[in-house]
Amino acid sequence: MSGNEPALSVFLVDDEPPARTRLRDVLTDCSEQLPLQIIGEAANGREALDKLVDMPVDVVLLDIRMPQMDGIELAQHLHKLQKPPVVIFTTAYDEYAIKAFELHAVDYLLKPIRKERLLESLMRARDAGPVQNEVLHELSPEPRKNLSSHERGKIHLIPIEQVLYMRAELKYITVRTADREYLIEESLSTLEKEFALRFVRIHRNCLVAKDAIEGFVRGGEDSAESAGWMAKLKGLDELLAISRRQQHIVKEFG
Amino acid sequence: MNKGRSINHNSMNEALPNFRNLGITLRILLISNGMALLLALSQASGWADVMQHLLQIATLLTPILLSAWILLWAMQPWLTQLNYWCGVLVVNVVAALITLLICYFGGELFNSLDSDNSSFSLARNMLLSVIVSSVLLMYFRLRTLALSSSVHDARLQVLRARIRPHFLFNTINAVLGIVRTQPKQAETALEDMADLFRMAMSDARDLVPLHKEIQLSRQYIALEQMRMGERLHVDWQLQDLPEDALIPQLLLQPLLENAVYHGIEPLHQGGNISVTLSRKGEELRLMVNNPRLPNGEGLHRGNKVALQNIRERLHLLFDAEAHYQVESGEDFYRVEIALPYVKVRPKLKERSA
Repeated sequence: MSGNEPALSVFLVDDEPPARTRLRDVLTDCSEQLPLQIIGEAANGREALDKLVDMPVDVVLLDIRMPQMDGIELAQHLHKLQKPPVVIFTTAYDEYAIKAFELHAVDYLLKPIRKERLLESLMRARDAGPVQNEVLHELSPEPRKNLSSHERGKIHLIPIEQVLYMRAELKYITVRTADREYLIEESLSTLEKEFALRFVRIHRNCLVAKDAIEGFVRGGEDSAESAGWMAKLKGLDELLAISRRQQHIVKEFG
Repeated sequence: MNKGRSINHNSMNEALPNFRNLGITLRILLISNGMALLLALSQASGWADVMQHLLQIATLLTPILLSAWILLWAMQPWLTQLNYWCGVLVVNVVAALITLLICYFGGELFNSLDSDNSSFSLARNMLLSVIVSSVLLMYFRLRTLALSSSVHDARLQVLRARIRPHFLFNTINAVLGIVRTQPKQAETALEDMADLFRMAMSDARDLVPLHKEIQLSRQYIALEQMRMGERLHVDWQLQDLPEDALIPQLLLQPLLENAVYHGIEPLHQGGNISVTLSRKGEELRLMVNNPRLPNGEGLHRGNKVALQNIRERLHLLFDAEAHYQVESGEDFYRVEIALPYVKVRPKLKERSA
């Protein structure tokens, strides 16, 4: 028994109310052996992000299959928090995810959740760090539905279908929607791989949404790097340079 | 308890064709006339001659076929009670006798065929009838074998599709979630689950009373509503349905399960499934309509397995008399099924009582 350990703070995310009740019940049972505190709960990813921004917790119990945003995507956004929590995934049945979890030694719980198993995971979580972002990328069979940007203590979700282009600038990537720009900290090549269906690279530092391309215009300097073509995107006045190497897309999308 | 009419009782492969079924009747017409055409071809000496011979054969074949079919139609309830090989014998005897009667009494009409030797022609026509009816019976036997073995092969897979692991474990988890605070509801949920799984494990080729299938589907929806709460609504439209109708078991429930799993669950705000059941003359109509995510990924594999299974079973049970239609729009998915109105027969009730 660990009498002088601080209580472990736990947050629950599941879209089904009885599943959350079950988790609360089992956590209460666990609290007899391990000091813990249920800090809050959420029924979906967005609600969870909003609550967790001003409420650092140690552990998040996270259902995988949820509408709108699945648990694995939510875990990736939680990484943007100041103090990312340890995530323990829960699932009733999900062959693909379970295989991936085993492969990357990520902790998960099978529903119906048993007290002994949960206790074991919580004990482990106390000493473990959060799951690496690269691993989370590999867990997810599908691209995320949102990008997330940490800005003045808030996490903004940017629905991927609203993104017009993503451009690498120094340390950050500028994500442009019709309304505004966001800064995110990710690598352009990972983004390119993840969203290959939706985006095309027009320049060493720039990915453009295929649906957003309106046309191409001549302009800009003709140099070794640039072929003199610029891409015009729907709803944006700004023109984006196309590099010589990517010049073929003018034919493909023109 | 009347558990409904069992179509198989392990003699599914050993059953005579249902002479009251439209599809079967069409097949009989097509095949026997095809054989007549072959005969005409082999007898004819020129192309024009083929038509002549075909007409001659048809004048004899059509009345025989028609009378035999009417008689078999009338005998159908009795035929189904017979052992398969007795049934085969009866059908052949019927064919031979009808041929004898028609050739004998209608001799004036047909003597152009073989005027020289009437006792030979009588015997020959009877033999031909028996051959045609045997060929037909053999065809139907092989067809049933082929269809039901494909059903059999798919059964394990289908069983897994019917008991979706996702549904099983989530429901158990939900029951555990309410058991401490709402023990009564938890009891009901477990009872509903038991009914559902008992049905899923029984033979899918049985016919059950319509109201039973509706009740089972309602139990299923109650379980899903326990999990999903306000997000799931079902609008039942049951228009003056006959009390005595029978439908294949697990016809409606899997359609609802698809609607919930692929339609409602991925929708954040949930949605409304509408179920319409109605009777139109000698036909029962069934429609399940559900919303779905716009630009949703379309059909998943599990969905296809369940729908395919329903289609195969309808085909096996009702042949051309059942219709099945899927309409899939940008934000909705609709399955419509029309099947013959099969009634509980009092005789069968007695037998199983």
